[in-house]
Amino acid sequence: MTLINVVQEYFWGFLVATGMTLRLTAVSLVLAVVIGLLFAFLKISRYRVANIIADAYIGITRGMPLIVQLMFLYFGISSIVALSAFWAGSLALALHAGGYVAELLRGAIQNVDRGQTEAARSLGMSSSKSMRLIVLPQAFRRAIPSLGNQFIIGLKDSTLVAYLGVPELFSKAMTAAAANYSPFNTYLVAGTYYLVLVVIFTWMVRKLETRLTPYRQEATR
Amino acid sequence: MSVIDIKGLHKSFDDLEVLKGIDLTIETGEVVVIIGPSGSGKSTLLRCLNFLEYPTEGEIRVNGELIDPKKSDLDKVRQHMGMVFQHFQLFPHKNVLHNVTIAPINVKGISHKKANVVARDLLGKVGLPDKEKAWPSQLSGGQKQRVAIARALAMDPDIMLFDEVTSALDPELVSEVLQVMQDLAAGGMTMVVVTHEMGFAREMASRVIMMDDGNIIEQGTPEQIFGDPQEERTQAFLSQVL
Repeated sequence: MTLINVVQEYFWGFLVATGMTLRLTAVSLVLAVVIGLLFAFLKISRYRVANIIADAYIGITRGMPLIVQLMFLYFGISSIVALSAFWAGSLALALHAGGYVAELLRGAIQNVDRGQTEAARSLGMSSSKSMRLIVLPQAFRRAIPSLGNQFIIGLKDSTLVAYLGVPELFSKAMTAAAANYSPFNTYLVAGTYYLVLVVIFTWMVRKLETRLTPYRQEATR
Repeated sequence: MSVIDIKGLHKSFDDLEVLKGIDLTIETGEVVVIIGPSGSGKSTLLRCLNFLEYPTEGEIRVNGELIDPKKSDLDKVRQHMGMVFQHFQLFPHKNVLHNVTIAPINVKGISHKKANVVARDLLGKVGLPDKEKAWPSQLSGGQKQRVAIARALAMDPDIMLFDEVTSALDPELVSEVLQVMQDLAAGGMTMVVVTHEMGFAREMASRVIMMDDGNIIEQGTPEQIFGDPQEERTQAFLSQVL
């Protein structure tokens, strides 16, 4: 098949599959931020046990190939709990990205000047209020570029969920390439879909960053 | 009545003993200025007053009540003490008005409307009535510090603590901040001021405290300390800074 034929044949099919890719990515990344925030707090906690738990989690999720974690969750866990391929995939992506997000948020939180917390506490705020109102908003804003980066990685990592049989973009491309004997053109088209998504996403992250930082990001002293 | 009453205060960081037994009583309406060479423990003493540092040893009473940092509700205690820092520490993600209202709204539970009224009044008093929508990054150092003072005052504290608040300012911006502090002192606010501004100490202090090496070595009226210092170390320090 020529490139034109491939585009004509699969344009809509790939677009529908892209919807699944976006759903996987969105669900897994929202979960990843929640998981990441939780383990970031455990990591900066003054309780030794919490630190150890966080280190173990981050070590395991960052230390094992994503495909292994995917297979483990889908075939391992779903033998105990019934887990659809979509949810097993989303969960595995989330747990994996969560390790990276945890490290990233920990860094962002610890980079907020200690004096900011002291100022908040000196006004009578509890430690949770000063974290919520003063530290976290600044940490999140500073983490946006790296979070965006992590999201792009997550989008591309979602291709691996094809091996669980979720009908997302890459699995559609594999099926198509096997049927039409034109892997070169087929993967070229599928790859372009991913590229366009990443470009749009990058632009959105940049917009978000400017919108959330109406103040110039001075080095907070 | 004494706002703060300290007995036998010691503070160590690991092996380093920074405060070596401080006794100090601060009465309502007093302006106590703490002077002394750097490293003498002035800032640490100030930070112990509102428990940003926990004492290693000793008793601190606030409004007559003995405070145990492990058991007392420190958030409550700190609500009665405003603090202004050397490096301003305005909240960069909040505009000027929100910097001043954030604590009254979120700590005291005052309505936005009421908090705004109080904040605007205070911003007027520190000479920044037209800056409420500005971001901290758009202000000069002197303006930032005046907002920081307004922010602390918004909690309606019984006492204000000033930790070298003019040390990070360009020289030409120092006077606008000192002016606000003078107005406060004249208004009867109880103040503890750690500073290198001897002019302020001489004019505004009701009591000057000279610290060296973790101890209060001399205290008295500005006339006594600046006019007729008794301790050799006080004389040496003053001859260097005056």
